[in-house]
Amino acid sequence: MHGQYFSSNSPLTRRSVLLGGAAVLGGAALAPALSGCAAAGAGETTYPLKFWHLLSGGDGIVMAGMVDAANEANPEFFASQTVLAWGTPYYTKLAMASVGGRAPDVAIMHASRLPGYAPGGLLDPWDTDLLAEFGVTEQDFPPRVWEKGVVDGKLYSVALDAHPFILMYNTDVAEKAGALGPDGQLVEITSPEQFLDVASAMQAVTGKHGLSYGYLGDGAQMWRLFYTFYKQLGAEMVLENGKEAQVDEEAAVTALSFIQQLLDDTIATKSGDYATAVAEFVNGESGMFFTGVWELPTAKNSGIPFDAQPIPTLFGTPAAYADSHAFVLPHQSAPDENKRREVYRFVSELFKGSIDWAGAGHIPGYLPVVESDEYSELIPQAHYASAADVLNYDPSAWFTGSGSDFQTYFAENVQGVFLGGDDPAEGIRGFVRRLNVLLAKPNPVAKG
Amino acid sequence: MTTVELPPEARVAESRPQVPHRPGEKRFGAGRVIALIILIVMAVSWLLPFAWALVTSLKTEADAGATPVSWLAPHGYTLEAYANVLAEGNIPIWALNSLLSSTIITILTVATCALAAYAFSRLDFTGRRWLFFVVIASIIIPPQVLIIPLFYEMLAFNMVDTYWGLILPQVVAPPMVFILKKFFDQIPIELEDAARVDGANRLRIFWTIVLPLSRPILSAVSIFVFIGAWNNFLWPFIIINDTSLMTLPVGLQTVKSAYGVQYAQNMAMALLAAAPLIIIFLFFQRQIIKGIATTGFGGQ
Amino acid sequence: MTTSAVSNRAQATTGAKGDTKAARRRKDNLAGWAFVAPFGVFFALFLIWPILFGLYLSFTGTTLTGAGGSFVGFANYAEALGSSDMWRAMLNTVWFTVLSTIPLVVIALVMALLVDLGLPGQWLWRLSFFMPFLLASTVVSLFWIWMFNPQLGLINEMLKPFGVAPIAWLQDPQWAMLGVVIATVWWTVGFNFLLYLAALQNIPEQQYEAAALDGAGKWRQLFSITIPQLAPTTALILILQVLASLKVFDQIYQMTQGGPAGTTRTAVVYIFDTGFTGYRFGYSAAVSFIFFALIILVSLVQFTSRKGARS
Repeated sequence: MHGQYFSSNSPLTRRSVLLGGAAVLGGAALAPALSGCAAAGAGETTYPLKFWHLLSGGDGIVMAGMVDAANEANPEFFASQTVLAWGTPYYTKLAMASVGGRAPDVAIMHASRLPGYAPGGLLDPWDTDLLAEFGVTEQDFPPRVWEKGVVDGKLYSVALDAHPFILMYNTDVAEKAGALGPDGQLVEITSPEQFLDVASAMQAVTGKHGLSYGYLGDGAQMWRLFYTFYKQLGAEMVLENGKEAQVDEEAAVTALSFIQQLLDDTIATKSGDYATAVAEFVNGESGMFFTGVWELPTAKNSGIPFDAQPIPTLFGTPAAYADSHAFVLPHQSAPDENKRREVYRFVSELFKGSIDWAGAGHIPGYLPVVESDEYSELIPQAHYASAADVLNYDPSAWFTGSGSDFQTYFAENVQGVFLGGDDPAEGIRGFVRRLNVLLAKPNPVAKG
Repeated sequence: MTTVELPPEARVAESRPQVPHRPGEKRFGAGRVIALIILIVMAVSWLLPFAWALVTSLKTEADAGATPVSWLAPHGYTLEAYANVLAEGNIPIWALNSLLSSTIITILTVATCALAAYAFSRLDFTGRRWLFFVVIASIIIPPQVLIIPLFYEMLAFNMVDTYWGLILPQVVAPPMVFILKKFFDQIPIELEDAARVDGANRLRIFWTIVLPLSRPILSAVSIFVFIGAWNNFLWPFIIINDTSLMTLPVGLQTVKSAYGVQYAQNMAMALLAAAPLIIIFLFFQRQIIKGIATTGFGGQ
Repeated sequence: MTTSAVSNRAQATTGAKGDTKAARRRKDNLAGWAFVAPFGVFFALFLIWPILFGLYLSFTGTTLTGAGGSFVGFANYAEALGSSDMWRAMLNTVWFTVLSTIPLVVIALVMALLVDLGLPGQWLWRLSFFMPFLLASTVVSLFWIWMFNPQLGLINEMLKPFGVAPIAWLQDPQWAMLGVVIATVWWTVGFNFLLYLAALQNIPEQQYEAAALDGAGKWRQLFSITIPQLAPTTALILILQVLASLKVFDQIYQMTQGGPAGTTRTAVVYIFDTGFTGYRFGYSAAVSFIFFALIILVSLVQFTSRKGARS
């Protein structure tokens, strides 16, 4: 191992990290001894793998369980996970670690962020032959999900899942509001007016709010709901470097105006943040909840009676905002081939164990899991699995994707609209102006 | 110039407690009662965030996140949050990294700055004036302006994500050179002359005569540098990505719980991270206050 | 600077015994450079070189990924000076400085004056006001994110009896800057408080005695003796405070990341964002130098106004 700077090599366990710290305390002289400890153990080698991700809450718990299971079943590696703050902080750190050359061995990225990482050499491509050796091939994934990971003909990310924005609803509240169909599921809602009616009816039942949705200071949340409605209106958003952004202003204004109608402090709170919205729904203080599939465990743990479905098609075209958690290899200047091999083994293990990931709400990317009987018995997952057919990733550009500045810029221009004061048209124009500024600049991750 | 210092021996700690020291003051006139009330209100406001953090950290997560907001804990007070935080294992590693890096930074800074300050004060070498001018002028450079080129430089040195990358750039402290030089200037030169007559060389004089005389200023500078290094955020945050190399402030900000936002644990972590310096402060209140006051104006 | 007095003294003592002047000088030369060398190495490597290299970077299109390192002339500066974001960041910086400096001076002064009355509980007052200064920014941010939590925070809870609806302190563009300022004042006022306290205790007693004999009351003494006597300290604190506030990064990055809607993005946050999140090292370096120019400008204004006030 390369221990030229003390303890920059990966320690095996927490204990050896402490030991490493102690070694440093005792002086750099001990560093060579320390570097040997990764390979300690009689005969066989356990490769310590550093695994970064940005999953917390329900997701984090499930991921921790999957990692533990994989570690237990495979003496060849020991993966230790590090959770970083979701969004910009995570991606900034991932990029900085990658250019620094001592990046973690494997990380999870949103597939939508790939255009900002792969072309700039921040990621190392996956070796598809080696993946196949561990039983992970192109045929095992929905084509669109697999293709999202390919940049310039090379595979840079392999998607663990697809996670759309969906609608959860409290079945008790829905029943009392007369909004349940004969099948015990929410009636089909096909127009904005109908949605407002249902939400109002639910508000009358709960006495607090009809709908929970939190977005304050959270560009991602704003963008998810907006983009869902925007795509339902059949609109496109095309972002090409060196050209003006193509945004359908009329559709955008329609979507934003509808959101303003929802956030009237009766149907939904005007200024809810993410945590408040979750708390409100799981405490039965609202009937419906716009949220990502990842909040499924929270809802389940709360014990409230609820079901879920794709966000109703209110504007004609079925569509849902979605993204994928995908495995990537952050760039390392001197990767250890044997260790890399164990990364492949580790990732393949997580794919095969991703029925647990479906338990966390996500729709697994690995088809053998989705097609299993076990998966079809998962409720309410099966009720919203159809959202996978209408997935919409962020428009592709180096600056878009989950937790990107793109969403921050969206928030900067549109939060005032959500809060109710600002004019939707002004908000969206400000956003487009911002996009045009970005598109006019040279792409910093382009080669050459 | 932005560096101007206080009368070196600012008598902060040596106050005249309890005794009304302004002439003609009655012990408890109406004015003093009002002043006392204002003081109490201010002190309570200033202690409030600590108290709220402490109470939160002693609650169960359920109570910490419950409405209505209350100082009481229906489920009782517990050390659970602390146990959970410590069981995660990161805090001790970060504390060790903080202690280690801050100590090395302090030693290197004080050593290099003291040597240089002595040379500027006593040794008439060629180029002294312009070099001293450059050093003093550089005080105006905000370290924040250097982050981009410094990171680039660390990439070239292959020092991103290493202790060296963390420590070395923090060792440069021109204001400390200035403060120490001013102090050395005041030491009567006659004290050194005797030793020179005896043929002692400069290093020996510095070590055996100047340094012992400079203990107060050296400890003041050390305290200031150490607190600065211990709490420094921007540079450590930029240069360290590897969680096992992070310092307390950086780790606390960067690494999140896999189990979501947990208010009691957050406050427990914050208090654990705050504890070392606060405990040291309780023991060395006088020295620290004096150190800060004497060095403060130079240290920005 | 006071170097001349020193060199005179040094000269006076040379040739004390034995050595010729020339030999002594040679020795001093060698020793001088040897003493300065350790510091000099750090100084050159981590201050002088980065500032020069940063200047060079600011004229290139260098990115985090190493792409686009070509020379672009003044393009980065032109873009920055024409960017509303950049100006907004500079304005936010100035706004933060104004909002934070005033209470940081006034409250510190009030604290020091009250504590200097010699009321009982001296150590407690000092501890209360100064302890926050010992905290790392991260701890301060954690505390205040929690205090400011819209639903669960103590601040909104305490405002409730006054009929104030819950405020999203750090998420609402109207309030975020104020929230950051409150946390900053709480964090750093203790430092200025100490400096004031030190200065107060250096005011000679006789002045008060004389004033008392002339029949001046407490308030008269405060305005005719204490505050004028503190003027130099106030000037120094102002200078330091303004410079420190201009460089704000930590608590803002940690509490709001420059949001919401860019309302708290200050110059250094902008430099960090464009450099490390936006990858554009060249541009970010250019903004760094524009910011540096702002710092120099403010320093010059303060320096000249102080000089004017003195004479």
